[in-house]
Amino acid sequence: MLSSVFAKTVRERLRAFRWWCLVTIGFVSLYGSVYPSIRGKESLNKLLKDYPEALKNLVGFGGNLDFVSGAGYLGSEVFSFWAPIVLLAVAIAAGSSALAGEEESGTLDLLLSLPLSRSRCLLEKLAALVCETSALAFLLWILLVIVSHADAMGVSTGRLAAAVLAALLFALDFGILALALGAATGRRALAIGVSATLAVAADIINALAPMASWLDKIKLASPFYYYSHGDPLRNGVNVRDALILLAVAVVFAVIAPGLFRRRDLTTS
Amino acid sequence: MTAVIQAEKLRKFYGASRGVVDLSFEVEAGEVFGFLGPNGAGKTTTIRLMLDLIRPNAGTLELFGLGAQKNSLAIRRRIGYLPGDLHLYERLTPRELLRYFAALRGLDGLGEGEQLAERFELELDRPIKALSKGNRQKVGLVQAFLHRPDLLLLDEPTAGLDPLVQITFNELLREVAAEGRTVFLSSHILSEVQRLADRVAIIREGSLELLDAVDTLRARAFVRVEATFAELPPEEAFAGLPGVRELERRGPVVALALEGSADPLVKALARYEVLALDSHEADLEDFFLTLYRSGAGGAE
Repeated sequence: MLSSVFAKTVRERLRAFRWWCLVTIGFVSLYGSVYPSIRGKESLNKLLKDYPEALKNLVGFGGNLDFVSGAGYLGSEVFSFWAPIVLLAVAIAAGSSALAGEEESGTLDLLLSLPLSRSRCLLEKLAALVCETSALAFLLWILLVIVSHADAMGVSTGRLAAAVLAALLFALDFGILALALGAATGRRALAIGVSATLAVAADIINALAPMASWLDKIKLASPFYYYSHGDPLRNGVNVRDALILLAVAVVFAVIAPGLFRRRDLTTS
Repeated sequence: MTAVIQAEKLRKFYGASRGVVDLSFEVEAGEVFGFLGPNGAGKTTTIRLMLDLIRPNAGTLELFGLGAQKNSLAIRRRIGYLPGDLHLYERLTPRELLRYFAALRGLDGLGEGEQLAERFELELDRPIKALSKGNRQKVGLVQAFLHRPDLLLLDEPTAGLDPLVQITFNELLREVAAEGRTVFLSSHILSEVQRLADRVAIIREGSLELLDAVDTLRARAFVRVEATFAELPPEEAFAGLPGVRELERRGPVVALALEGSADPLVKALARYEVLALDSHEADLEDFFLTLYRSGAGGAE
């Protein structure tokens, strides 16, 4: 049961995780129940055509603004904002509490007085973070498969999996960043603040990119760009984009143990 | 006999604020080593250096002949640690916490936790958040002892323990020492260290003041006498009396350290009008005052 840092971490996050599951079930049911009344109303799309580019980019997903087709509806309602936010929230909460949370609550001294290396401790907490976020992503995927079939949205199970995978990788980038910041500083608020701010900035930069040519270059540094621009709901997994998001996560995960090993742990 | 702990010119600063300065001492296997000093003297810093929770700026620190930083895992396997500022997982029960720590130490079940809990009369199945300070301290003690460590690092171990539990704790320490295991006992209470330790190091402002057998320290023990006068006697009134040293003056009160016979002091006091007389066993602060007055403790 409590046989490892991994098992202990998973267990203590379970309480909050249940709530996130309920939130996810609630939202996806809501989106699913609204779609039948939108389906086929092409006039809605005409209305949207005159929206400013930045707004289209912010609301839409993968460069298309289309509420009417199944893929368009899920893209603009679920994947442009809500799905990455939920996965980000879970990943950043897990990442910031992993080491900084335990350090601030004063239990880290006792834990690391045991024959447990700092790297090992960090890696087990990282594994718990990845499992927790992936589990929620899996639930999201299952729910979307159900809704898409029930509403005849015409989005395949594989395309849904591709979009959820992209959102998961995007969220993991910032969750692991939060973990690395906590490992480096021992400060939970800083870990949450910096990683959440950067995640929001990534979205905004990507959305505003069409407005200014200088932003158009910067957007290539935004993980949100690699999450959305390939439009996985229509085109499936974009291997290059997925690998870039994965590489960012791996870089943070590789840097974190060194930052954690090097410093003095603080007392609460 | 090899030293279990060997610190040499150990130095630790947190930015500009002082942890320990050029601290050197050795602890032998099988002894109860008292590490005595007022709050903020650097006791916790020293212990956290031994556990590699913090890193020294200079000096060397070896435990069991191994470098504290380089071989930390091998060292920590043989150490039981009770933090001075104890924080536990509030949502777990003591049984869950002990099982978790035992598992991370590679032990089945609770290790010796079950017997120890019984000895300390610790309830294992109530959530830790519902426990009193004394009961939390028991959990801290049990987890420190559960793997029969060769070295115990105990930071202010009796804080919050009621007197009966303290007796159990004292017995446990004696058994541990009798088995040839080593105890590093940090405390700010002179009498506690005198009762439990074989040797005592006194640390003040990060530096070693004194390292001696506890018997030697006891021989230097004295009583603090406080006399309240109607009219303050002259500065040199008690100078040169055998066994008497003046510690401090506060208003009409003169505090004196008395060793041995009280007779010379009583006769000297009788020359003045004494409104009140109080005496008690000296504490650590008094001990420091005598060190500085007698010049043994260096500059004031």
